[in-house]
Amino acid sequence: MRGLAALLGAETPPASLAHGTTIVTNAIVEGRGAVVGLVTTRGFRDVLEIGRQSRLHLYDLASPPKLAPLVPRRLRLEVSERIGPDGAIAAPLALDEVGGLIETLAREGVESVAVCLLHSYANPDHERTLRAALASRFAHVSVSSDINAEFREYERTSTTVLNAAVMPLACRYIDDLAQALGLETTGAPLHLLHAAGGMMSVEAAKARPLALAASGPAAGVAAAAHVSHALGLDRTLAFDMGGTTTDVCLIAGGAAETSAQRRLGGYPVRMPMAAVESIGAGGGSIAYADPAGALRVGPRSAGAAPGPACYSLGGAEPTVTDANLLLGYLNGERVYGGSIRLDRERAAAALAPLGRRLGLSTLETAAGVVEVANAAMLRALRLVSVQRGYDLRDFALIAYGGAGPVHAGALARAAGIGRVVVPVHSGAFSALGCLVSPLRYDAVRTYRARLDAWDPKPMEERYRDLEEQCVAPLRDEGIAHERIVLERSADLRYSGQNYELEVEWRSTPEALRTAFEARHRQLYGYATGEGIECVNLRVVARVPDVAVELPSRAPADAREPSGEQRAWFVDAGEVTLRRHDRAALPPGRVVDGPALIEDEWSTTLVYPGQRCAADRLGNLLIESGA
Amino acid sequence: MSPAVHPVTLEVVRNALYAIAEEMSIVLMRSARSPLLKEAGDLSSALTDAGGRLIAQGRDIPIHMGVMAFTVKEFLKRVPADRLRDGDVWFANLPEMGGNHLPDVKAIRPVFASGRLVAFAINLAHWADIGGAVPGSYVPWATESYQEGVRISPVRLFSADGPDREKLDFLLANLRGRDEREGDMFAQFAANDVAARRLAELCDRYGADTLAACFDALHAASEAGMRAAIRALPDGVWEGEDWLDDDGVDDRPLRIRVRVEKRGDEATFDFTGTAPQARGPVNTTYFIACSSVYYAMKTLAAPDVPPNDGCYRPLRVVVPPGTLLSADPDRPVVGGNHETSQRVVDAIFRALAPALPDRVTASGPTTSGVLIFGTRAADGRWAIFYEVHGGGEGAAAARDGASAIRVHMSNVMNTPVEVIEAEYPLRVEEHALRPGSAGDGTHRGGLGFVRAYRVLAREATLTSMLDRRVVPPWGLMGGHDGLPFRITVNPGTPGARDFGGKASGKLVHGDLVRIETCGGGGYGPPAGRPEDARAHDRREGYA
Repeated sequence: MRGLAALLGAETPPASLAHGTTIVTNAIVEGRGAVVGLVTTRGFRDVLEIGRQSRLHLYDLASPPKLAPLVPRRLRLEVSERIGPDGAIAAPLALDEVGGLIETLAREGVESVAVCLLHSYANPDHERTLRAALASRFAHVSVSSDINAEFREYERTSTTVLNAAVMPLACRYIDDLAQALGLETTGAPLHLLHAAGGMMSVEAAKARPLALAASGPAAGVAAAAHVSHALGLDRTLAFDMGGTTTDVCLIAGGAAETSAQRRLGGYPVRMPMAAVESIGAGGGSIAYADPAGALRVGPRSAGAAPGPACYSLGGAEPTVTDANLLLGYLNGERVYGGSIRLDRERAAAALAPLGRRLGLSTLETAAGVVEVANAAMLRALRLVSVQRGYDLRDFALIAYGGAGPVHAGALARAAGIGRVVVPVHSGAFSALGCLVSPLRYDAVRTYRARLDAWDPKPMEERYRDLEEQCVAPLRDEGIAHERIVLERSADLRYSGQNYELEVEWRSTPEALRTAFEARHRQLYGYATGEGIECVNLRVVARVPDVAVELPSRAPADAREPSGEQRAWFVDAGEVTLRRHDRAALPPGRVVDGPALIEDEWSTTLVYPGQRCAADRLGNLLIESGA
Repeated sequence: MSPAVHPVTLEVVRNALYAIAEEMSIVLMRSARSPLLKEAGDLSSALTDAGGRLIAQGRDIPIHMGVMAFTVKEFLKRVPADRLRDGDVWFANLPEMGGNHLPDVKAIRPVFASGRLVAFAINLAHWADIGGAVPGSYVPWATESYQEGVRISPVRLFSADGPDREKLDFLLANLRGRDEREGDMFAQFAANDVAARRLAELCDRYGADTLAACFDALHAASEAGMRAAIRALPDGVWEGEDWLDDDGVDDRPLRIRVRVEKRGDEATFDFTGTAPQARGPVNTTYFIACSSVYYAMKTLAAPDVPPNDGCYRPLRVVVPPGTLLSADPDRPVVGGNHETSQRVVDAIFRALAPALPDRVTASGPTTSGVLIFGTRAADGRWAIFYEVHGGGEGAAAARDGASAIRVHMSNVMNTPVEVIEAEYPLRVEEHALRPGSAGDGTHRGGLGFVRAYRVLAREATLTSMLDRRVVPPWGLMGGHDGLPFRITVNPGTPGARDFGGKASGKLVHGDLVRIETCGGGGYGPPAGRPEDARAHDRREGYA
């Protein structure tokens, strides 16, 4: 923090500051939110506790089948009012009840208030009136038509309440940060990274702090999107393999896929979030034999402590990292993280008993562990691509995270992916993500209309409203209109369906139908002539020209190759593997596999038959031979 | 025992099979039309081997899964394998052919590799209407299966050449909401199509023989897991019973009786003493009885054993002919699927409570709490709103029951108020917990809830199909019973009337239907409940 402040005080202060934080995610996961009061339509205060009435586990009576409600019942208050699904007011808001309501909430020590009235997405008037009244007494008020103007009351309530729960904490954090950096005096704008992989202003973050949740994985994905764009790759898969989990996300046309609903801390949240699939398999995942005689890996992990057996920190169970070391896919002579030297003997000792149980040699066991881990990761890659109607073979893999560049080559080959990119700065990828993310604001509103009874005028009005919502914060920081890219989309479905497909906006119902049916066919393999309806309208505003130019790199002066070691591959058997210092590789120099390319953060494995070359910026490009 | 499969291959194949079954459910849920499928998820999907033995399941509902362990086997008895072709999708709903009830339609696709039958993909979807006497196909007064809708014996609706238009149209001509039903058929086709493609890729990579060996290994492992779980239970003989309120036609309770005998690593469930088959629609089949037994054993003894054909092998189910659980094919069954099956679980839990006091729960909303509103839109088309209503879970030895939830054989979600009001001529005026409904105890049951529906259409039909309205959810070990269901039309007015649990009637504009769902039974004597727990209940308004 002091370093940053010094930087800001320098003669040429930075033009802007980008910040990513995990405080919101942590607060949600650890249940450390504020005391929240909830105001709902009379008769519906228990919606939050009833939820969707389904249980979490089908066959487990020992665990509670439902999460505790986010707001206890005594802090859920009702107000008389009623709005219909078309936005018509069926019963006016009972203003005379509001004073007593505020008193009750204040008496109970509520710090932050959430308001969620039925059908407020169709008409936010009552929520806005309540917001104004509550703001006179409470510093923190979240109303559902601002936070998530979409139908389905439980999910909207849950989203709004979570926003309210993290608001006091997030606002304090942001204020402290701005003050510590002395931003008011230097005038450098501060931006915060949000879950959709974009940046937002301080004011926007304080109004919608929930958007800061899950921004960690989004940062890496944003960096991967930037790398994809820089290399001119249209379709890529971000592949981040760490110690306990692996995150994957699809990137098409330069932007990461977003999903509109996920769970955070077990509770449903609707907002655009980078569609990161996370699986419980990483370098520290523990391998074991199951009762069927199958070799399984994870989700149990040795984590950082005790860590894999080869760390010599007390771990004795075999992990993926142990298998990689034994197979010669890591450098056994190097010191990692300043102090950890990998011990091949301990890796072998941990894997041998597993091999005996399975009737395999220790080396075969190690190869099996890697193959099973790769199968789990392949499943995640398929989930984000094939299940969404894409062909994996059209993609390149962007590999980062501690273990990603070791596995990427084999994974690409198994998936039929032709090219792997191990980006430069892969060890500081999240920070890079903050640097290269566009300013981005999203807005959504439920609007129901049938394509066969099309009236463009109300649609256009609503889109204009949504665009204004997105553009206003950009205008406030003085961004010229021509720098802003606005994108409209609509959630469409066959009448009668309840899962919508997001389709890029077209101005005629015929063109929308064509686009919807093409997407439906791509996803489900069929389309019919049924009626189609629109459910939600969406707008994204982006300022893409943040344009950070990464410097070209001159190769360092180092011995090359830097050494060699023995390695074992299923197809090639035992071979000699050359080691290269990544910093020493001149651009364009081809390295034929098998080879290891090392930098301070990670190890890249080039498999037999694969070729690798560094580009001008220092990215490694591997032709996988698939 | 099968030939040994390489441990890595086995794991990679297992992983892939589960991924396929899950993907089927996703495709089905996302592209289906019936409200029950799309919003509430009343669907299941699975893969079986070439002999119809269950291998892997996707998202499931216990009542579907146990039954689907039989469906393909029964299908093959009627449609021999040599009549199956690559690209076929067969549809069927006969209860006597490993079915549930008529609205639960199964789509079965044989999967071939190099001309050889290697597996089946099967999925089940609850259609919002299957024809019959009333919209929604729940006929509380039915005394014959034929009044409940179209009985679909196996029929090939899709082949490699595409949909068979004549057969499709023949079926659609007998159903309400033709467009919606056609959408459901295509969604089921699409789910099986994905599975067939993925299985073919697996076959290409590993070969059909290796795949078959993997199937056998998975079966053997689950069988061994279930046997070990049973062996860990004490040997003995236990008996239990529970009662259905009535059958909708004759107004008297019907008994489900079970005798559980456990010896070594096997267990027998004998339902001798269960009521004779009923006139009304609470009859069901041997397959459903098995399904309930599987659920109970998996939950009480072996929650971690992957469910497939193997884990059912150590379990024997005995049902004498002519009972509620072995009714003739022409008997009505629509409620038997989710009412009688739940009562079977209740009887088993009651029988095993003395043996497994720390594992069982008291009784709860062991009913689907079905209400169906049938209305016609202005254009004359049927709008059928089908909703399931949960209640308070029964308490356990170590915890209170959860409020407003589904238990045991079903886990279908509710429909959001904002969806109901946008799509049907109904207004929901209240959706709230039902304080005081829980059975008291050292641990109390969960709370039921209240929902009130105002009819905005000129007229509507209302059908109920639920239980636990007369016989309340029981408490255990001294815990009190929960309050039973109650449905009232126009409560608090001079014309207020109680609407039965298996009834059908007309409503007019402005009528209010209020359903109060049951609370869960308590566990242990109320005197044992800590004062701070009682204070909490009072503070939050649960008591």
